[in-house]
Amino acid sequence: MNAVRGKPVSRDEGARLGFRLTLPAQILVLFISAFPLLMQLYISVTDWSPLSGLGWWNAWEMWNSFANYTDLVADTRFWSALKRTAIVMVVCVPAEFLLGLALATLFADDFPGKRIFYSILLMPMMVVPAVAGYMFFMLFQSGGPVNDILSAVTGTQVTIAWLSDPTLALIAVMIADIWQWTPLMFLILLAGLVGVPEDQIKAATLLGANPWQRFTTIVLPKMKTIIVIALAIRVIENFKIFDTLYIMTGGGPGVATETISVYIYKVTTQDLIWGYVAAIALAILIVLSIVAVFAMKRMARGRQVPA
Amino acid sequence: MSAIQLKHLTKTFGDFTALKTMDLEIADGEFMALLGPSGCGKSTTMNMIAGMEEPTSGKILFGERDMAGVPMGRRGVGFVFQNYAIFTHMSVRQNLAYGPRMRGAAKAEVDRRVGAIAELLQLSPLLDRKADRLSVNILQRVAIGRSAIMEPAIFLLDEPLSNVDAAFRAVMRTELKQLQRQFRQTMVYVTHDQLEAMTMADRIAVMDHGVLQQVGTPLEVYNNPANVFVARFIGAPGMNLIKGRPAESDRGLVVDLGPLGVTPPLPDELATSLRGARSDVLYGFRPEQVALAQGGRGLAMSVTFVERIGARTIVHLGEGESAVKAVFENDVGLSIGQTATVAPMAASVRVFDAASGIAIRAD
Repeated sequence: MNAVRGKPVSRDEGARLGFRLTLPAQILVLFISAFPLLMQLYISVTDWSPLSGLGWWNAWEMWNSFANYTDLVADTRFWSALKRTAIVMVVCVPAEFLLGLALATLFADDFPGKRIFYSILLMPMMVVPAVAGYMFFMLFQSGGPVNDILSAVTGTQVTIAWLSDPTLALIAVMIADIWQWTPLMFLILLAGLVGVPEDQIKAATLLGANPWQRFTTIVLPKMKTIIVIALAIRVIENFKIFDTLYIMTGGGPGVATETISVYIYKVTTQDLIWGYVAAIALAILIVLSIVAVFAMKRMARGRQVPA
Repeated sequence: MSAIQLKHLTKTFGDFTALKTMDLEIADGEFMALLGPSGCGKSTTMNMIAGMEEPTSGKILFGERDMAGVPMGRRGVGFVFQNYAIFTHMSVRQNLAYGPRMRGAAKAEVDRRVGAIAELLQLSPLLDRKADRLSVNILQRVAIGRSAIMEPAIFLLDEPLSNVDAAFRAVMRTELKQLQRQFRQTMVYVTHDQLEAMTMADRIAVMDHGVLQQVGTPLEVYNNPANVFVARFIGAPGMNLIKGRPAESDRGLVVDLGPLGVTPPLPDELATSLRGARSDVLYGFRPEQVALAQGGRGLAMSVTFVERIGARTIVHLGEGESAVKAVFENDVGLSIGQTATVAPMAASVRVFDAASGIAIRAD
């Protein structure tokens, strides 16, 4: 080997060469992730706005000694947007999870027409969120199909103003989210479900476990890792809920459906206080990072214990 | 504990017949091996006994009780899977306790039974170990213990040793046989490995293509195979079979083997049964039961290959269409190309009908 290469390569030398070869890629990654983050951090401690006439690099001239963060703590609109986001998440993610799990359990077995239903079931996920937003915007009009169906069922003329009632608008937005993202949950959970060793399920059956016991003692524990991943993906995605919601309600009526993303969008485009926007975004990034770290820890632990 | 009766058991999958009218009685406390090549229907038979598959027709009785429609969790059957199917996300203790817990036994009762079974299987020091990092013989014990704790009437084992490396199999076989003696349970053991079947089973049911070929003790199937399939399948190497035609001679009935000449006269009892049918026969003898004849009577054939495997030497011989293997206790000094004369020992000769493959028994 050494004869072919000419001279032996020491371990240190190899590591140095490897570092030099990957350096361009590392610099690129640094610019993609670290640079925007640092820029954001920098702007978040200033009053900088694109209308201030200064380049962002000169934002230090508008240094406001963490006023953005103290403002943030006192910003009731921010806190209520955060609370609304949390409500949406607390309703949507468990609903998507339970529906997805039920569907996955159903699809783990064979039944006639399974392939067709499978394709249909995955379709909502493929719809562009903005398009889904328009769809549900139309569905929930006072004279729209949802009210028509309710009228047909109840036999009386129903004219619910879904999108202009604060509570109903939030419900409509959540229904749209559940419609669109249950398929993803279903897909991930189905992958996990078919990965549960079949003979362990049979063994449990032979030992007298009923279907519910099999599900809780074998299937769920074996799916723990994948469940955590699925929930983490949806928690993070749901936290950023925007497109569908914005098109359906624009965050309204009033601020009734204003979630964190909608709030940031409004502050960014309407108020143009970008220093403050950076502060909000950074605070949210920290929250989501905690979720991600928790999920990754779980994944690492899951890897040590193969199914 | 319970006897098992299979009555005209048949299983078809669409056009494919996995098992054809199988009749078998397994006695209470017996260790029965279902032996055959893959696809012979042995696993299908076992799955039907366990209740994982429903028979297409026929009956399965445990004792006097018909098992039709009894779900697998209620049959009182312990099943040891090929890969043991241990619950890897649980500890050894949780694995053992699984059955009683699912049946709603009280915690004290579960602990007592787990303790007892762990003691019996020498698993006590391992009870709190996670089950995903155990050696294969421990896994076997956990699998058996997990079933045994339910005190099943019947134990079914589905090729449990097929994933174990050869060196360890002997250990596992011994351990398994000892466990069976301890539990005194009816055991049905599915395997394609005749060594496992021969060493552990009280009786062996040899199967091929969904048809039960022969049932008997290991020595019965080895010494008196019911047909050509069993003769070839049992034994390593299998029985030698040479095509020939019965012929009368002044010394008695012999078999004319064509270019190989005629055999020594057949034993009287065999000759009597053979005289009736004068069709072609297969002249069979065990490779282990031959002697080298020095130019005397026997089958003169040339050596085509010699396998020296230490304790034994397997000599492959061929002449025209016929091929024969002979096993000797020591190196007999033959080499490829030499001509050797092998004489089957008279008592070991078996004759089969060439058309049907069925053994012609001495009356």
